[in-house]
Amino acid sequence: MIPGSQRRTELLRGVLDLCLLAVMDEVPAYGYEMTKRLRDRGLAIVGEGSIYPLLGRLERDGLVETYRAASNGGPPRKYYRPSSTGRLALALGVSEWRAARDAVDAVLAPVKVEVTS
Amino acid sequence: MTDFVEQCRREWTRLGVPDPLAEEMATDLASDLREAEADGVSAEELLGSSAFDPRSFAASWAAERGVIPEPPRRNARRRPLALLVFTGVAAFALIVSALLLLTGKPTVSLVRSSRAVRPHFVPAPPGAVLPPGPTRHVLVASTSAAAPVEWILLLLAIVALGFAAWLWSSWGRARPSAPA
Repeated sequence: MIPGSQRRTELLRGVLDLCLLAVMDEVPAYGYEMTKRLRDRGLAIVGEGSIYPLLGRLERDGLVETYRAASNGGPPRKYYRPSSTGRLALALGVSEWRAARDAVDAVLAPVKVEVTS
Repeated sequence: MTDFVEQCRREWTRLGVPDPLAEEMATDLASDLREAEADGVSAEELLGSSAFDPRSFAASWAAERGVIPEPPRRNARRRPLALLVFTGVAAFALIVSALLLLTGKPTVSLVRSSRAVRPHFVPAPPGAVLPPGPTRHVLVASTSAAAPVEWILLLLAIVALGFAAWLWSSWGRARPSAPA
């Protein structure tokens, strides 16, 4: 049986690119700002899943556009936002995620979870 | 944290990441780590287990971003010349064998000869009977069609050209692509 934290990490790894595209689609953001937004919604980046290599891949694949701008009172930062290809990938990815989530829910729905203290 | 960024920068330099890109990544990382520290977020919380392995983290980031130059392939330049020569020889052999087959003359054959070979160049006296000598295979120009070498040459040339075509296609696929 996979330990809970490891399962969570593996589940997150498969959709982290979608989560990043989603948060930067709301408002362009730099690296740390994205981790803050994810954490605020309950997604702490755990394990070896740092967002930097993933942002690098999104950039290499042309799914994001970048620009440098001054942050609030800080040094200029590299901001990311989805490109048109990235928005399309996000839409397709969300669709795939919902289909997978619904299918898994259908399988797991009958399972009765009893929490005993 | 400065030490972490410095180790990342050294790794990028070692991997051949262009300086402006390495500088950009190091600056962004340092800014993020500083801001996280100010927020009370540790490097481990921000980077996960990568916080304990800066070299691996730096290599992974650069590789995913596609900014590590590919090492030059050994013999990458010499291969086309060798291939060119090989292809040329094969094509020449094909043309020669085809011409020989089409014209029919001279027909080069591999024939068996049981004529004794006299030592040196002493002419045989008239009427002399030479003893039977060892059987030899010699190439002679004749009109005989027995086991023609032209066909063998043609077959070899076709096989060689096919091999050359395969080498050209594999070389084309293996050529280093332009950096992104």
